Amino acid sequence: MKSLSFLISAFLLSSCAALPAIQEPSADQTKKPITCPSPFLTEKTRFIHAIDVQTAGKTKTVMIGVTVADPARRTFSCAIMSTEGMVVFEAVSGNEGVNVIRALPPFDAPDFARNMMDDMELIFLEPAGVLAGKGVFAGGEVVCRRRKDQDGWIDVVAGHDGRTQIRRYSECGALERTVNLNGNSPDAYKTIELQSAGLMGYSLMMTLIESEVVKDIPATQK
Amino acid sequence: MKRFPYMKKVSMVLFVLLILPAVSVQADDFARLRKDSARISTITADFVQKKSMKILSKPLVSEGKFYYAAPDSIRWEYSRPLKSVVISGKGSTKRYIASGGKMVEDKTGGAQAMQIVLGDVAGWMNGRFDANPAFTAAIREGTDMLITLKPKGKSMTGMIEKIEITVFRKDASVKSVRIVESATAETRIDFLNVVINKSIDPSVFQVVQ
Repeated sequence: MKSLSFLISAFLLSSCAALPAIQEPSADQTKKPITCPSPFLTEKTRFIHAIDVQTAGKTKTVMIGVTVADPARRTFSCAIMSTEGMVVFEAVSGNEGVNVIRALPPFDAPDFARNMMDDMELIFLEPAGVLAGKGVFAGGEVVCRRRKDQDGWIDVVAGHDGRTQIRRYSECGALERTVNLNGNSPDAYKTIELQSAGLMGYSLMMTLIESEVVKDIPATQK
Repeated sequence: MKRFPYMKKVSMVLFVLLILPAVSVQADDFARLRKDSARISTITADFVQKKSMKILSKPLVSEGKFYYAAPDSIRWEYSRPLKSVVISGKGSTKRYIASGGKMVEDKTGGAQAMQIVLGDVAGWMNGRFDANPAFTAAIREGTDMLITLKPKGKSMTGMIEKIEITVFRKDASVKSVRIVESATAETRIDFLNVVINKSIDPSVFQVVQ
């Protein structure tokens, strides 16, 4: 038991890493002030995406995902269904936590709903937390780093190819998620690539089917 | 209550008399449907599927093609918004999905779930609407026939409230299927351009490209 604990501790420690260094922009780059990349939603929006679920580079299944994200309230509603219309997962997330409406196996696994909502937040909402760094990576990509409350770090990187990359690190600096977005607003969510790091790592390749801004009906008109 | 002790018995007899014809009519109707459906050897149809849910502002519309050959061969092919094909027959079901420009087999167990569904669908095409013991089946005559299936036990609570199948009176082929999951969620499938008993190449039930 002691040796098992030691092995687990050693593995967890070895997963930790130093965060990529953020540098001051060079003299050429300081001609204009650095603006943090922000492809994130500014309005409540409904998305329907095709989600290609891959592990070890191979497609396992393709599902349809519906997401309603509200950046003002930082809330989500989401549903996953098969092409045949069978809803396998449905949940809402708000200030009271995650409320799972339906979860069929394997979407009923512990923490699936919480992890999914965390992924949605990473993709669609401007990271919460204080700005901990602003500058460029060694390759010259502009990066803004935010510190979540004792819960890790999020880098938002403007790639040279025009795409935006979001990286989430654990508290000890291990890379947990990488999200690549199509570019900056308003087309950022046409294609989304999410990669989860680790032994059970997976990739989600999301392709937009349709999207629309959601206007809430005032309670008096309902 | 004791003033009319016979009333209870009379009521019971009346109830039985009223109910019995209805039950036998229902059984006759299902038998007739089975007989009429026995004439169907193949079906080819387009379909439009409309998925309604609280999270959607308007139904999500999917389209595709449906093929059936008696007794149990089915090809259920979606062309939009996502391409997918389910092929079922002889106790085997495979599901394929479009990924990276080609069709790949779904290995997640989605095919097994579809096998159960398509087993029932093949039964409906044969007119065996009351064959699944997990559902009670009722039939209502009208311009077309409406068959309502309701789950018997609680195993489908929160999954399916009822299934409504509309059948063309003229040829006993299925016109539409409405799967009601809850008060705010349902899937409706309408079959269009239905062609009956036209030969279908067997490769349709074997090959996915």
